Amino acid sequence: MQQQEQQPVLLLIDDSPSIHRLLGFKLKNEGLDFLAAFSGDEGLELAKSNQPSLILLDLNMPIMDGFETLHALKDDPETIEIPVIVLSGTTKPEEKVKAFELGAMDFVCKPFDIHELRVRINSAIRISRLMRMLELRAQIDGLTGLWNRAHFNERMGTELEAAQRGESEIALALCDLDKFKNLNDTFGHPAGDAVLQGFAAVLNAELRSYDIACRYGGEEFAIILPDTNLEQARSVCERVRVKISERVWPNYPKLSATASFGLTHIGADGRTDASAFVDAADTALYAAKEGGRNQVKVYSELPEAGDGPAKLALAS
Amino acid sequence: MTTGNPGPTSGPVRSEFADDAEMTELVQMFVDELPERISQLNEAWNSADCQRLEHIAHQLKGASAGYGFSVVGEAAAQLEESVRQAEDNLSAATRQFDELVDLCRRATM
Repeated sequence: MQQQEQQPVLLLIDDSPSIHRLLGFKLKNEGLDFLAAFSGDEGLELAKSNQPSLILLDLNMPIMDGFETLHALKDDPETIEIPVIVLSGTTKPEEKVKAFELGAMDFVCKPFDIHELRVRINSAIRISRLMRMLELRAQIDGLTGLWNRAHFNERMGTELEAAQRGESEIALALCDLDKFKNLNDTFGHPAGDAVLQGFAAVLNAELRSYDIACRYGGEEFAIILPDTNLEQARSVCERVRVKISERVWPNYPKLSATASFGLTHIGADGRTDASAFVDAADTALYAAKEGGRNQVKVYSELPEAGDGPAKLALAS
Repeated sequence: MTTGNPGPTSGPVRSEFADDAEMTELVQMFVDELPERISQLNEAWNSADCQRLEHIAHQLKGASAGYGFSVVGEAAAQLEESVRQAEDNLSAATRQFDELVDLCRRATM
């Protein structure tokens, strides 16, 4: 999520060295990094390994032509998102139509006017950056900057599958800020927002880089802990629990916030599905609330665990 | 500029960027490589390799204007087109071939 703005990388796929030289020179002040490929094959490889911001693709190349290359680029999930501007020596409308149908973002005829090419390159990079940002935004919670529920729903399934396929352990914690409505009523909604943001800050500081923190609902959060055994997961939750309870709120000196945690886990040979896994964590969270809040409860340690939906998970 | 006007039929063909100091080195590289292009063109012509001939012409068409030689680019486009139409009878493209080779020989800074 913390992507840095880097210099855009432009991959030129063209069999003519004269074109490479000319573009390298004409675009040298555009703040672009250049990658050069002289055949379709080479272009595909570089696109995969370097993930350029934009590809300029010549249509007329021997062996693997531009259409074939474009088709291969748009057929591969690793390269499908990279915008492509097609360069072509022909001006036939049917070629342009075909290029767009195959997924090109733009089409420029050779010999090209360098000013036109320049603005088209910049526009393609801008559009694709905005598209990526929109895609990312749709999965990020605006208030806390954590992943949102939509992302969680998708991610829980893929992480669980990956863990079961790779026979590794995985844990899930659901956490809920204690008496959050009281807090809002007493200190006002801005204080409530500050606590939500403060909790997110604690998560960002205390979780490991591969943990996935999501805002699950109003004052509820979900943490996916891949490749983590129960004791590690418990200590992560404990650490977060202590940090949030100790946190000082500069604008609200009398405020103190705590959270409750429900934890579930499957071992390397455990089997469960996402909804059963979430239900188990939710059951544990409920137990933590019933037990007096500000604590971590583990599903498999609850007396009623045997009847729970995640029974399968306990078989291991 | 060149439409309807065949221009001088002898003497040097200068790059439109001849006065652009920034471009000098780049254009010179392009000019330096033209003899190699000419021999590639001759080779393809002599072995009646239409595909190769069309391809070299296509490359010249795409690049020449960028280096300030739009007349070369236009001649290359005409050769490409006439080779495509000539199919196996290359002699129909003789005039276009000669013209392109001639322009490449005369091209200079």
